[in-house]
Amino acid sequence: MALSTHATDEIRALPARFPEIRSAVMPALDIAQEELGHLTPEAMSEVAELLKLDPGYVEGVATFYTLFHLQPIGKHHFSVCTNLSCALRGAVEICDHIKRRTGVEEFGEVSADGLFSVEEVECLGACEYAPMMRYQHRYHYDLTTQKVDALIDRAREEGHGD
Amino acid sequence: MATELRGSHGPERHHLLTGLFGTPDLHKLEVYRRHGGYEMLQRALGSLTPEQIHAEVKTSGLRGRGGAGFSTGTKWGFIPKDVPGPRYVVVNADESEPGTAKDRYLMENSPHMLLEGICLACYAIGAHQAWIYIRGEYDGPYQRLVDAIAELRAAGILGGQPFGCDYELDIQLYRGHGAYICGEETALLESLEGKRAQPRSRPPFPAVKGAWGRPTLLNNVETLANLPWIVRHGGAEYAKFGLGSAKGTRLLTVSGDVRRPGVYEVEIGVSFRHVIMELAGGPPEGRRVKVFWPGGSSAQVLPESMLDTSTDPDALARVGSMGGSGGVIVMDDSHCVVKAAYRLLRFYAHESCGKCTPCRVGGNWAVRTFERILSGQGSEIDLQILDRIQQSLQYGRCLCGLGDSAGWVIMSTMQHFRNEYEEHALRNECSAERVPAHA
Repeated sequence: MALSTHATDEIRALPARFPEIRSAVMPALDIAQEELGHLTPEAMSEVAELLKLDPGYVEGVATFYTLFHLQPIGKHHFSVCTNLSCALRGAVEICDHIKRRTGVEEFGEVSADGLFSVEEVECLGACEYAPMMRYQHRYHYDLTTQKVDALIDRAREEGHGD
Repeated sequence: MATELRGSHGPERHHLLTGLFGTPDLHKLEVYRRHGGYEMLQRALGSLTPEQIHAEVKTSGLRGRGGAGFSTGTKWGFIPKDVPGPRYVVVNADESEPGTAKDRYLMENSPHMLLEGICLACYAIGAHQAWIYIRGEYDGPYQRLVDAIAELRAAGILGGQPFGCDYELDIQLYRGHGAYICGEETALLESLEGKRAQPRSRPPFPAVKGAWGRPTLLNNVETLANLPWIVRHGGAEYAKFGLGSAKGTRLLTVSGDVRRPGVYEVEIGVSFRHVIMELAGGPPEGRRVKVFWPGGSSAQVLPESMLDTSTDPDALARVGSMGGSGGVIVMDDSHCVVKAAYRLLRFYAHESCGKCTPCRVGGNWAVRTFERILSGQGSEIDLQILDRIQQSLQYGRCLCGLGDSAGWVIMSTMQHFRNEYEEHALRNECSAERVPAHA
């Protein structure tokens, strides 16, 4: 089993919140992803079984939405907005800098030390603070190379622990 | 969230939504109530009929603030009155139009203003259950709403008997998972039902057959946040703000090459010159505004010579654009229009849900054409190809407006900046790069 008993219990409790069971699929995938870091085929199959849905259907939903990761991501994941408002204020340069400093060569891959991954994302709706990014479930504003360096340094100090 | 507020706050005559922003702890129920919060819900449940609220909204002239600008009172009128069983209010908090941050600004600063508006809308259309579909990346606003809803449950304002009245009310949150298309209301409903977010064919319209097949009212965050003010002061008072048929105020997000980016509440009808040059401080020292998107990246661009255009939708329509989501993106003369259009086409190609062929194919085709042009491999034929693509994307060939939006980016940038396209495609030059760096 890919998912813990705790996670499967949480998923079983979800359908009661909705008029139809299908609406529970994304909250269930959230629980699975939270526990495993990304969605493995086994995890998606288990979600399907728990919600009495077809595994192919669940995978079809998971592949549609960008917040579901079907490949492993780093323990520290940078989602940098490079849409127009941020790009005009230096977001692409910030993104390149993060890749260089973390050792991530391509978007979507994890750095050799397993700590970092970086992705370019579309507008995150905080354009008055551009350039900005989402990092560890928080928005970070008015990015500079110094600011992201400090975050990367702190992440390295923490290492793989919590 | 001790982040510095960038945008409207404090008492000014036209700060109908943002007047209290900046008040310490405004996001807490106690503070919101100290400033009159939930008095209108109490009044509505105690002494107003749903029809009276609907009438005030119609009188106000309020139009949807999500992008389409449809009359709110008219939309409410589409909800059938005589259908038994549940009906829903679904709140579109999936703000993701590039250059738009106003719903986030609103939810972070005054979550209870939105929640009171939602409760008023529920009562007006006879719904007892609301769902807020909030984009998944909005961690801060989501937490604000979780906390605010918990406060309301504890205070009994959500529950079986709000303010002692027999009108059960509940609000649930549903997080999106990263898909621009979910801002389109039928795609949002698909997503809420646990499906891939692909727009539905209409009819039936959501008012008749919406969430889980039930009658559903879909409104944007800012639209609903106006309701407490309208109920308190009356629709006629609201309609005194604005210009022509466009009533009230709007939250404009000003971003890009300006000195004071921010979310500014303005009376509809002020000029973009006022918004960009005065409120947002204009472009950096030594720069000129080259172009601006008046209503999110989907609104047709306007050149500097059109800065005096009014923010009302009729004026924008006259110059071939629209108010859209209120996202005002400003670009100065050091940036290249073709590269900006290319970045936006990458966005539309990426966010196409794949259901309709012109949008699924056209976006990617345009991206490849832009890449040819920007790598110095372009020719006159590529400009003709772009022109054909933008025509194929437009004119309602798709179920939703995403394809049209992609087409408008190409069409409007080519219309106003044909010279820059020719520089790149025919001569592999970029005049923006020759603009000297400012001191």
